[in-house]
Amino acid sequence: MLVVDHVTKKYGTSSWFHRNKPAKSALSDVSFTVEPGTCMGILGESGAGKSTLGKIILGLLPPDSGSVRFEGVDLYRSDRHTRKKIRRNLQVVFQDCYSAVNPRMTVRQIIAEPLRNFERLSAQQERSIIVELLETVGLAAEHLDKNPRQMSGGQLQRVNIARAIALNPKLIVLDEPLSSLDMIVQKQILQHLNELKDSKGLSYLFISHDVMAVNNLSDRVAVLDKGMIVESMEANAMFECSHPSSQRIIHAIHEANRLGP
Amino acid sequence: MEGIRRIGWTVSQHKVLSICMVLISIIVLSGLLAPLIAPNDPNFVDLMHKLEGPSKQFPLGTDQLGRCLLSRLLYGTRVSLSLALLIVTSCLVIGTIIGCFAGYIGGKVDGLVMRICDAILAIPSLILAISLIAIWGAGWKQMAVALIIVQSVYYARFIRGLVKNIKQQTYITAAKIAGTSTLRLMTRHIIPNLLPPLFIVVTLEIGWVIMDISALSFIGLGVQSPTPEWGAMINEGKSFLRSHPRLMIVPGVMIFCMVAILNLLGEALSERKGLSRLLPKWAKEAKGS
Repeated sequence: MLVVDHVTKKYGTSSWFHRNKPAKSALSDVSFTVEPGTCMGILGESGAGKSTLGKIILGLLPPDSGSVRFEGVDLYRSDRHTRKKIRRNLQVVFQDCYSAVNPRMTVRQIIAEPLRNFERLSAQQERSIIVELLETVGLAAEHLDKNPRQMSGGQLQRVNIARAIALNPKLIVLDEPLSSLDMIVQKQILQHLNELKDSKGLSYLFISHDVMAVNNLSDRVAVLDKGMIVESMEANAMFECSHPSSQRIIHAIHEANRLGP
Repeated sequence: MEGIRRIGWTVSQHKVLSICMVLISIIVLSGLLAPLIAPNDPNFVDLMHKLEGPSKQFPLGTDQLGRCLLSRLLYGTRVSLSLALLIVTSCLVIGTIIGCFAGYIGGKVDGLVMRICDAILAIPSLILAISLIAIWGAGWKQMAVALIIVQSVYYARFIRGLVKNIKQQTYITAAKIAGTSTLRLMTRHIIPNLLPPLFIVVTLEIGWVIMDISALSFIGLGVQSPTPEWGAMINEGKSFLRSHPRLMIVPGVMIFCMVAILNLLGEALSERKGLSRLLPKWAKEAKGS
């Protein structure tokens, strides 16, 4: 469904008065595919290029070379009309739930935004859809007219998920959606994501540095190190990885867990 | 009863804010109701009563042409305030358009617009206004246009900075992914989030614009006599500084009060909104220093 093909991205600076500085490579020759109804986990340390990859897949940042195809449509080389159609099937949940919502909007407005952009609904229909979405992610209708500031991180991240699934997308990019939450809420949200995947046939691209969460949600895992995919494998074979970098990343967390209680 | 208690609580929590609000409303109301409360016609010349001290008929005395000083002061409030409001509103509209445009598009367009703004800001604004008026001739319309041109640049830079800041927020990216069009992005996400800091800046800025208007009118480039305006009144009274300082002191005190109150209000507001540390920084960036 999603095919990432030899994507390379370099970062350099350019302005009117400065010559381009030698570019730093953020991603080099990244390729993978996400099948319908499955979850692909991208595991990597900070600075490995995870977020850059997320942006490229979301159509926000053109890669220097390579292509991203979603349902056979190239995200960067097709016309506007086709891209607009693709848009609604590709949604996102960001890491920081508080900065991912406009602080001056209510929960109802936040979730209604994608609906209003793509569909013509009466106020009645819109309300019932939003309430339904809130219930799907485990929130009650009483939160409808709350402000983001009045909600906890976990609640707000659920609102973000509700916004992402509002248009019944086919793929959701989860850009470290759990890192700003505490353990218990992380578990609950993971469970919701798992349920949604099964009930709606969603696919995920789960970008994270949390080995356990990736293991829990993903079907396949790719390990990203210094902009390159060093190894990719089935999630249940994760701990038998062979590449030194992926061993380091995966076992570091494992060690940390063993040191704990 | 509950309502009254709540108002009381609000006032005790925000003393400076409420005092400033009350004083400003008094000044604005006295300007609005000038035709009702002014004891005399502000432009009625009566040489028999010139340069008289305060009396029952003329509560603040009369000027060199026998016109009632209090009435002129009240009508002057109207002129000063409405001109200041007109200028600030126009600047806000022009500045928002240019600032949003440059800040949102970014890149070379932004660079070009901002270098033009830098060039204009390099000249002290009052001197630039004076030279523009020198080209077009004196009068309140020319003064308003000159001040609008000069001040809009400042607003444009300020708003451009804010827009750039907001544009980097994740919620803008999220909205784009949700399929929001650029126009809706502007009206629903960017402009609403501009308003709180802008409101405070406008409060501070109105005070400075009143100063500018008075300064230009004082040197005879702005509001022309016989229209009553604070700066013009000081100008008319300056020949009588030794014998009748009252003619200069009364409008001077009025300008001082108005500007001081607006500044206090702006500062109290920015403190309440938690912007007191950010605003000077943004303003400095906008001035390009």
